Amino acid sequence: MAVLEIILIVFLIFSAVMAVRFDEELISIIFLSIFSLILTSLYLLHKAADVALAEAVIGAGLNTAIFMSAISQIRHGDSD
Amino acid sequence: MFSNLIFIILFMLGFYALIMKTNLIKNVIGLNLMEAAVFFWVISFSDIGGEISIHKLGETMGEFNDPVPQALTLTGIVIGASTAALLLTLIIELNKFSGTIERDEIEGLND
Amino acid sequence: MNKLIKKTLISTVLIAVTFALYHNFALMPEYQGLDEGISDYIITYGLNDTGSLNLITAVLYDYRAFDSLGESTVIFGAVSGIVLILSRKMLPVSSKGLSFIVKRTLGIMTPFIALFGFYVISHGHLSPGGGFQGGVILAAISIIFSIVYGSAFDYRRYSPQTKTVLETVGAMTFLGFGLAGIVMEGAFLNNLGFLTAEKGTLISAGSIPYINIGVGFKVGAGLAIIFYSMIQKTFEEDF
Repeated sequence: MAVLEIILIVFLIFSAVMAVRFDEELISIIFLSIFSLILTSLYLLHKAADVALAEAVIGAGLNTAIFMSAISQIRHGDSD
Repeated sequence: MFSNLIFIILFMLGFYALIMKTNLIKNVIGLNLMEAAVFFWVISFSDIGGEISIHKLGETMGEFNDPVPQALTLTGIVIGASTAALLLTLIIELNKFSGTIERDEIEGLND
Repeated sequence: MNKLIKKTLISTVLIAVTFALYHNFALMPEYQGLDEGISDYIITYGLNDTGSLNLITAVLYDYRAFDSLGESTVIFGAVSGIVLILSRKMLPVSSKGLSFIVKRTLGIMTPFIALFGFYVISHGHLSPGGGFQGGVILAAISIIFSIVYGSAFDYRRYSPQTKTVLETVGAMTFLGFGLAGIVMEGAFLNNLGFLTAEKGTLISAGSIPYINIGVGFKVGAGLAIIFYSMIQKTFEEDF
């Protein structure tokens, strides 16, 4: 279990660095969604089941949807 | 010891994105990263190797993990999502008002 | 001041904060919450006091129910602020939605998602879950309607007025059980002990299942209103 945790933490830090780096916002939000997904499995490795369920639904589902709709209104707003 | 280093790295990444980047959406992403670092540290620090804190009927009780930090983390996740939604709404209105979302170019802000 | 001095100053601040955090963690002892705090009492007597098998739900809705009331108020404040800023006076009309395969597949899957959401809300005291998680699953159904079928479909099926009524009903349920705690048990938001059956069944644990249902409706309706206000609505007739 320690080996699995170390691999997941390496991916966590990698996706966090990639989320901060880019200038175009769409790529940043996709990396934020991957960050939230890996954080869910890390919560489950530390035996916290309720927190993992909440992070899966809110972090990877609702947060990404709200960010995407805001960026769509800013970058391609009123284009019809 | 291990989780302290990870917390410092993620927290300083979010803090860097909050201060040094001038794109307003990058600042909101940095705020989310800082909050996620704090939640991960709270859960990882209070883990003593027990089981999930739910009783099972008819079996004897083992050693449970601590339920109080998990309840606080659950509250924090929901409040973080609500705050991010409100901040993004204000950024949408600011974009309509002044046409840009860089912190340097909004007029009247750098006097 | 020019840019180079500014960047040097900010880098110094960042390095100083990193040093401060590192020395803070070097002085911190091991985890002592189970020896000195309240967690020992909750683990030992939680099942006898409240009757719920899930200890985290017992902490969130019985021992610290006032904090959950504060969290619902934060969600209510965020929803009010967003609707105040972004509401439009014109009627929204649809966009086209996605292709036929996606519409058909999600037409089959959506009742099962709703059933799963109601399961997670109502079994909050027996398995991992509760009001907040199940409420967000129910809000995801409204998001699916807006994206896949177009926003006019969502407006016709569950208009924002219906969602506002659901949110108010959820909040009033929570407050009603709090005031009933004053009348019948002696303090605000106390657990009503007489509503309980034996442990492990669905109608156990006092007033916790009903508070879960109230919180689930409130959170689900609130987050659905947030998403519906933030999407971009086109203004041409499509049907």
